[in-house]
Amino acid sequence: MDLLNPYTLQVITFLFLNLVLAVSIYVTLSTGQLSLGHAGFMSIGAYTASIATKTYDMPILVALLLAIVVTGIVALIVGYPTLRLHGLYLAIATLGFGEVVRVIMLNLKVTNGALGLTGLKSLGTRLYDLEKVIGIDAQTFGITVTQMKALSTLIVMVILFVIILICQIRLDRSRVGRAFSAIKADETAARAMGINITYYKMLAYMIGSMMAGLSGGIYAHITTTITPDDFNYHRAVEILSFAVIGGSEVIIGPLFGATLLTGLPEFLRVLAEYKMLFYGSLLIAVMAFRPYGLITASTFDKWKNRKSRSTSGKGGV
Amino acid sequence: MLLELKQIGKTFGGITALSDVSFQLEKGLILGLIGPNGAGKTTIFNMITGIFPPTTGSITFDGKSLVQMPPHKITELGIARTFQNIRLFGHMTALENVKVGMHTVTKAGYWSSLLHLPQQKREERHVRERSLELLEFVGLQDVADVRSDTLAYGQQRRLEIARALATNPKLLLLDEPAAGMIESETRQLDELIRKIRNNGTTVLLVEHDMPLVMGLCDKVVCINFGVKIAEGRPEEIQNHPDVIEAYLGKEDEE
Repeated sequence: MDLLNPYTLQVITFLFLNLVLAVSIYVTLSTGQLSLGHAGFMSIGAYTASIATKTYDMPILVALLLAIVVTGIVALIVGYPTLRLHGLYLAIATLGFGEVVRVIMLNLKVTNGALGLTGLKSLGTRLYDLEKVIGIDAQTFGITVTQMKALSTLIVMVILFVIILICQIRLDRSRVGRAFSAIKADETAARAMGINITYYKMLAYMIGSMMAGLSGGIYAHITTTITPDDFNYHRAVEILSFAVIGGSEVIIGPLFGATLLTGLPEFLRVLAEYKMLFYGSLLIAVMAFRPYGLITASTFDKWKNRKSRSTSGKGGV
Repeated sequence: MLLELKQIGKTFGGITALSDVSFQLEKGLILGLIGPNGAGKTTIFNMITGIFPPTTGSITFDGKSLVQMPPHKITELGIARTFQNIRLFGHMTALENVKVGMHTVTKAGYWSSLLHLPQQKREERHVRERSLELLEFVGLQDVADVRSDTLAYGQQRRLEIARALATNPKLLLLDEPAAGMIESETRQLDELIRKIRNNGTTVLLVEHDMPLVMGLCDKVVCINFGVKIAEGRPEEIQNHPDVIEAYLGKEDEE
């Protein structure tokens, strides 16, 4: 397999995009909130960024920041009434939100209805323009322009993901992360510890939504075409299944889930039209045999124990 | 007066759980709240900690009214509690549970956590040291890194106390801390509560273990069917005819 094949590069880029989405669903879930609204927020981010670059000709960085801000504002407005809901009720409400966003995008003039927005200038092209300015071009590396664009996009995506991941790990180990985790475990006890539940649930919801909005903005500028159906119910379920299949107790869980679900279809090309059937079966199997996901906190405990046992065994000899 | 309950009443739908209960708690004392099951003791705890407001009456702490104040603000003011049915954060280690308890006495927010500002790092070090200190105080230093839901029952009870103490409370509410404990554990608990009081924390104790209550408390309030039936020093309560009747029933006088 040619690693520099633009197609392969794009698949890997989408993998990293999905990893960012996995972090976004993990943040929301880390306070115990089951949100199915991430596709809706992705859609808002995608359309905001696309309209900003296409109609108003803004630089992509500004457009993406705008996407984050707009998604954040919508999350605040939607979150305020819905975060009083728990578990399944929240899932249903946020699922409804996603559908409302889809229908709005389908009917607005600025979003061009069902045809969506096309002919966006891709992130790769913009990056390549930038690279040419500072005197790097495809010939320097002996690859084609398309490869260079795809490679640049991938590199930017990897850097972005690493930054987001580091931030998330730091957050997990901080006072804020402990508050999230306490709320997930027991809201009453968390309240008794002086944690302002409403504030922290809203914070987690907004961080997750804004990350989804950012992913949406980037997604639009990789595919260069978006339609409301790119962010439908299937997308919401796909994002959630990263966490359901991978597990949501530790951050590795959803990351593993995203890798598995993005990577498998590529290897199981034969299954193509049965992809959703496969997803479904995998979901059922995981829920039946690993209700907390494939990777849980105790997965590492066992591993650690085995390691310490083997070292103590060596010590005995 | 640290805590003052004035004529508080609580109804759930048509059921009156509490009516017209008043008592006061002076700083530095241990007050025992006793009464048969269902008398309304936990309801009083829930109203003091803001889980739900009283239907009538007022609760003041350190001169401030607690009615309608959200639970996290009440904790910030200096009231901490444990729960009758232990409510630890099961998936966290003992140490992490206590760290959560330090939420109100620390400040680090979202950005300072992401950026690892020196101030945040210093705070984290302090949180760790103080939490370990508290674990040692309740005698759990050896199990700091053990998942709290795998601890022994008595250890979980003491961990809940350490977690509550982490909020740096002026008043500590203990809801049946000795429930399910064997005698040696109860003795340790007795010592622990005395130590807490000697450190300057006022204690309000709900408990069914009478020897513990009578030995430990400076003052005892007894309620039955949502009404206060007696208040006084432990020895007065032990001989109070209404208290005896509430616990043992009345002999038929035919």
